[in-house]
Amino acid sequence: MLNIIQNRKTYFTISSILVALSIASLLIWGLVPAIDFTGGTLMEIEFNTEPIPNIQEIRNLFIVNKDTQVSKEELGEVRVQPIGEKGMLFRFKPISEDTHQEILTLLHENFNPDYPTTTATTTPNVILPIEELKYESIGPVIGQELQKKTTWAIAMVAVCIILYIAWAFRKVSKPVQSWKYGIGAIVALGHDIIIVAGIFSVLGRFAGVEIDVLFVTALLTILGYSVNDTIVVYDRTRENLHRYQGFDFEDIVNRSVNETIVRSLNTSITTLLVLFSVYLFGGASIRNFVLALICGAFVGTYSSIFIASPLLVVWQKLRRR
Amino acid sequence: MPNYSSQKAYTFKMGPRQKLWGAIFLIIILAFLAGLVDWPKGPEPVIGGIRREIKIHLGLDLQGGTHLVYQADVADIPAKDQGSAVEGVRDVIERRVNVFGVSEPIVQTAKVGEVWRVIVELPGVTDVGEAIQMIGETPLLEFKEYDPNAQTELTSEQRYEMESYNTDAKKRAEEILQAIKKEPARFSEIAQEKSEDPVSKEKGGELGWFARGQMVPEFEEAVFEGLEVGEVTQALIQTDFGYHIIKKNDERSIATGSFEVEGQEPQELGGNREVNASHILIRTKSVNDYIKFEDQWKYTGLTGKQLETSRVEFGQNTGAAEVSLLFNDEGKDLFAKITEQNVGNQVGIFLDGFPVSLPTVQEKIPNGKARITGTFNLTEAKELAMRLNAGALPVPINLVSQQNIGPSLGKISVEKSFLAGIIGILLIALFMIIYYRLPGLLAVLALGVYGLLVLALFKLIPVTLTLAGVAGFILSIGMAVDANVLIFERMKEELRAGKPLDLAIHEGFKRAWTSIRDGNISTLITCFILYWFGTSMIRGFGLTLGLGIIVSMFSAILITKTFLKVFERVDIGWLWGVKRNENTRL
Repeated sequence: MLNIIQNRKTYFTISSILVALSIASLLIWGLVPAIDFTGGTLMEIEFNTEPIPNIQEIRNLFIVNKDTQVSKEELGEVRVQPIGEKGMLFRFKPISEDTHQEILTLLHENFNPDYPTTTATTTPNVILPIEELKYESIGPVIGQELQKKTTWAIAMVAVCIILYIAWAFRKVSKPVQSWKYGIGAIVALGHDIIIVAGIFSVLGRFAGVEIDVLFVTALLTILGYSVNDTIVVYDRTRENLHRYQGFDFEDIVNRSVNETIVRSLNTSITTLLVLFSVYLFGGASIRNFVLALICGAFVGTYSSIFIASPLLVVWQKLRRR
Repeated sequence: MPNYSSQKAYTFKMGPRQKLWGAIFLIIILAFLAGLVDWPKGPEPVIGGIRREIKIHLGLDLQGGTHLVYQADVADIPAKDQGSAVEGVRDVIERRVNVFGVSEPIVQTAKVGEVWRVIVELPGVTDVGEAIQMIGETPLLEFKEYDPNAQTELTSEQRYEMESYNTDAKKRAEEILQAIKKEPARFSEIAQEKSEDPVSKEKGGELGWFARGQMVPEFEEAVFEGLEVGEVTQALIQTDFGYHIIKKNDERSIATGSFEVEGQEPQELGGNREVNASHILIRTKSVNDYIKFEDQWKYTGLTGKQLETSRVEFGQNTGAAEVSLLFNDEGKDLFAKITEQNVGNQVGIFLDGFPVSLPTVQEKIPNGKARITGTFNLTEAKELAMRLNAGALPVPINLVSQQNIGPSLGKISVEKSFLAGIIGILLIALFMIIYYRLPGLLAVLALGVYGLLVLALFKLIPVTLTLAGVAGFILSIGMAVDANVLIFERMKEELRAGKPLDLAIHEGFKRAWTSIRDGNISTLITCFILYWFGTSMIRGFGLTLGLGIIVSMFSAILITKTFLKVFERVDIGWLWGVKRNENTRL
C-alpha cells in the first residue's frame, strides 16, 4: 500500500507551487481573449495563387489603400497571421457586411489580374485566386454578454456540485461533515481550473493561444470530469467508513485511495488515449480545446488522488485539535 | 424459446437463465433497430403519412454555411407586443430564406436580457453577401397614427441652440463672401474647402445645367434675374437650406416644351433659358432638424406581419400606380379599430421608417383593405408589392454578428474528426482487452452497442452535430469506459477475496453503482448548465455529452452486466485477469 495520505505535505507543496505559478502568470500576463469575448472580425483566406503574397503586401493593402472606403479607422489595428502554406488569418474590429464585401473585392482585384471577368461565385469551374474559408464578425455587445454568461455558468456549476455532494454524502457526517466532502471536491477542481488557466496564460503569452467559447466549454467539462473523479475516491471512503468502524480515519482514507488508484489511472489512460488521438488527428479548430481537456484530465486525476482525499484528513485533524 | 402468449394463462415464472436470455434478446433487438437507424441508407419511416428522413444533422462548422445574428429594434413597441413582433420577424425571415432555397435553415428568436435577437443559420450558404441582402432588403411596413403627446414646438433650449447656430453660420458665410469678393477667381477652390453641400463640394460648387422650376424660388430669382454670366452674388442668398453664395457660369437658350416626370403631371417649363451655376452653401438649422416628422407618429400594432397579400392597382381617378394591401383576420380587426378611432385624421403608412402615404381617414374600414398611393412609377410599385408579398418586417433589424464557414474547411473537419474518433476508439478497445481480457472484450462489445444507441438517438432527436458536439460524444465514450473500469476493478477485488464468479459479478456491480451514479450525476449537472446557458456550439457539446452519459449508465448496468452473466460459469482465472487464491480474505 502506498503512503499517499502520510506524504500529503509533499503533494500539497507541489500543488501550491503550481497554483502559485499559475496565479502569478494569470496576474502578470492574463489570458488572451478571442473575438468571442471582445467582439471583432476574423477572416481566414486561402490563396490559390503562386507564390502567395507576403504579410507586408497584405498589410499594405489594408492600410495604405486610399481608393476604397476601407479605412484605417474602420478596421482598427489589422493583425495578419499566416496559417499553413497557403492560408492567411486577418483580425480587426467588427465591421459591416458592406465593408466585408469591399475587402473581398479588394483581395480579388489585387491577386487576380482577370478580375472582374471571373467573379467570385458565378463561375464555378474557374479556380478562384482566393477562397474565404472562415469569416466571423461579432459585435462588442455579444462579446460582453458571453463574458457575463460564462462567469455565471461556472459559478452555477460549482454551487450545484457542492450541494449535490453534500446531499449524496449526507449519511457520512462523522468524523468529517458531508459538506466538507463537497468543499474538498471544489478545492480540487479549483486547483485543476487554475492550473489549466495558468498553462493557457503562458501559452497565450508565448504562442498567441486565444481563449474562446470552446475553452470555456473545456473548463466546464474539466469541472465535471474532476468532480466525477473525486467522487469515486470519496465513495470508497464512504463505504470503508462503514466497513472498518473504529479504525483510524487517516488509515481508512489512505486505504480508500489505494483501492481506487488503479481505476483512476485506467480511466485517465483511456480518456487521454482518445483525447490524444483527437489532438493529433482531429481538426485544427478544436486542437486547443482538446489540449485544455488533456491538461484537465491530467491534473484532475492528480488532484482527486493527491489533494481531495488528503484534505479530508487535514480537516479531521484540525477539528480534533 | 418460451411461448410469450401463454405467460398470463399459466402464470409462467421466468428463472434467472430465462431472464438472462430475455435480456440478451432485448439487447440484440435494440442493437438491430439502432443499427437500422444508423445505417447511412437506412429506412425512411412513414409517420402519419409524412416521410421523415432520418439523418445526422451536421452543424455549420462541419458542413459550411452562415450563422447570422440580428438584433430587433423594439424600442417603439409596447413591452407586451414585443414578443409577437419579433416572432413576426422570424416568420418573415423564414419565408424569405425558404424562397432562397436553403435546405434545413434554422431561424429562431432569443431574448437576452431586454434585447431581442433573431438567429439565422443557413447551412450550405457560402455567399453571405447575397443571403444578407435577401434577408435585410425585406421592407419594414408600419401603419402609424398621430401621437398627441409628440413634441411639436421647440423647447427654449433648442430654440436658443438653433438661433446661435444660425447666427454663427451667417457670420461664417459673410466671411467667405468677403474673401470671394476680394479674389473671385478662387471661387471653386474656396467652394471645395468651405461649402457644406456634399454633392457639389467636390466639383468646386458646380451644380450643372438647370432650368426654372428645378431649384427653390429664392435661388432661382438670384440666378435668373440678378446675375450676369461670370458674376458672383454680392449679398448672401438665404433659403431653407442655409446661406448661398452663387456664381453664374453660363447661360443658353432651350426649346420651350414640357418637362415630364414619369408618374407625375406634366410640368410647364418657365422661360426658355437654362443656366449653369456654382454655389457655396453654409447650412443653417431649422425646426425640422430638432423635431422629426417621423417622431410624431406612434405604433399601432398594425405592421407587415398582418399582411396577407399586396397587389399593384391603378387609381380610378388618377390612373397612377398604387399598391393595394389586404390584411389577414387579425390585421382586419386592427385596421378597423385604427380607422374608427382616427376618422377625420391622418394615418401614416411608413415604409422602412419613411412616410410613403398619409391618407386621411374618411370612415371606418372594416374589410381590411388599404392602399398605398405615393409618388412611385409602375416598376417601383411592382417591386414594392412583390417585396411586401414576400414579407414585410414588423420591426427593423440590425446585423450584430455573422459567422461563415467555407465548405472545404467543414469537410476537412468532418474527415479529420471521424478519423480521430475511430483511432481513439480502437486504442480504447485495445487497452481494455489487453488489460481486462474477457471482461474487456465484453466491454468493447457493450461499447459497440452503446455507440449504435447514441448515434441512433442523435439521428432521432435530432441533434445537430457540431465539432464541439463530436468532442462531447468522444468524451462520453471515455465516461462509458469509466463505468466499465469501475465495475471490473470491483469485480476483481471480489474475486481476489475468493468469492465465486457469479457472486463476484453481482457484488462488483452493486458496489460500483454508487460511484457511477454520483460521478455521472455531477457531470450531468454540468451538461445541464452548459445546455441552459450556452450558445449553439456549447449547447451541442452539453447535449451530446449528457445524452452519452445517460446511455452509458444504461449500457454499463444492463448491457455489460448481461454479457458478463452469460459467461459467469466460465470460471477460468486467466480469462478474468485474476489469480484465484482461496486464502486471501479481507
